Amino acid sequence: MTDAGVAVTATTTKAPEGVSSGARWQGGVPPFAMSWQKLMMWLFLVTDALLFAGFLAAYGFVRLASPSWPEQSDVFAMPLIAFMTFVLITSSATMATAVGAAHRGDMKKASRYVAFTAVGGLIFLGMQVNEWSGLLHEGARLWENPWGPRAFSAFFFMITGFHGTHVLIGVVILGIVALKGRAGTVTSDGVELVGLYWHFVDLVWVFIFTLFYLI
Amino acid sequence: MEGTGGNIAYGTYWRIWIVLLILTLIMLAVEGLGLPTGVAVIVLLAAMMTKATLIGGWFMHLRYEKLVITLCLVLGTVLAAAFLFFLIMPDGRASLPQ
Repeated sequence: MTDAGVAVTATTTKAPEGVSSGARWQGGVPPFAMSWQKLMMWLFLVTDALLFAGFLAAYGFVRLASPSWPEQSDVFAMPLIAFMTFVLITSSATMATAVGAAHRGDMKKASRYVAFTAVGGLIFLGMQVNEWSGLLHEGARLWENPWGPRAFSAFFFMITGFHGTHVLIGVVILGIVALKGRAGTVTSDGVELVGLYWHFVDLVWVFIFTLFYLI
Repeated sequence: MEGTGGNIAYGTYWRIWIVLLILTLIMLAVEGLGLPTGVAVIVLLAAMMTKATLIGGWFMHLRYEKLVITLCLVLGTVLAAAFLFFLIMPDGRASLPQ
């Protein structure tokens, strides 16, 4: 995102007063009242949500269709999962603070909180590696499940693996944004875009945590 | 970016964080209390939806965006999941791995 691009979007995202919804599509005004970068991020998030919706719908169907299903508390270390959830929720709050600071023009605070968020993401990933290692050690594989139905392990590794990959990508982007923030080359729009991505990662975890680990 | 929740106080985000933590604790308690399955599932789903609303509405500033964005995200995922669940997946039931 160039400075020039940001300068243009910052002056064109707000529709003039009195512009009707029909007139928004006749040019000169962004119809969704947001920059194209942000619109593209939202489109990406919607498609990504469809991906996880597919995963979770398939998981729900297979689980209901299976004659038996492992008791989660027998398989997972729930205190660890609870702490992972705590870390991810906290990182979402630090990210929201970073976006708020960026909106206020306090880029120093914004980059500091982006760095906190990245650290939270790293801690989450470390705990996920620990969780995966434990289950692999007990014999769980993508195609094999020591606690019963094979699909259990397959869904576990696919769903948490995809989510973990999102976290990893987020941590890399957050690190870059934090470094650019220290160098003074990141814009508030850049912080907001990475914030949207990170909150989405947290949002997906809310569903995984409930549907996979608790219910 | 204008009109996207830039005026929300920092304290609001941290109050939401506390609510999210409390909801998570409630969910863990429900899981451990051994409530009847139906009751537990309803409470867990309600807490999940509340958490999702707080994250989407306040952290992602969906409250300040055009409604069509929220509709694409929420209705899109719900309809896609329902379509898969009720119309596509039953066809594959016979070949499910046991």
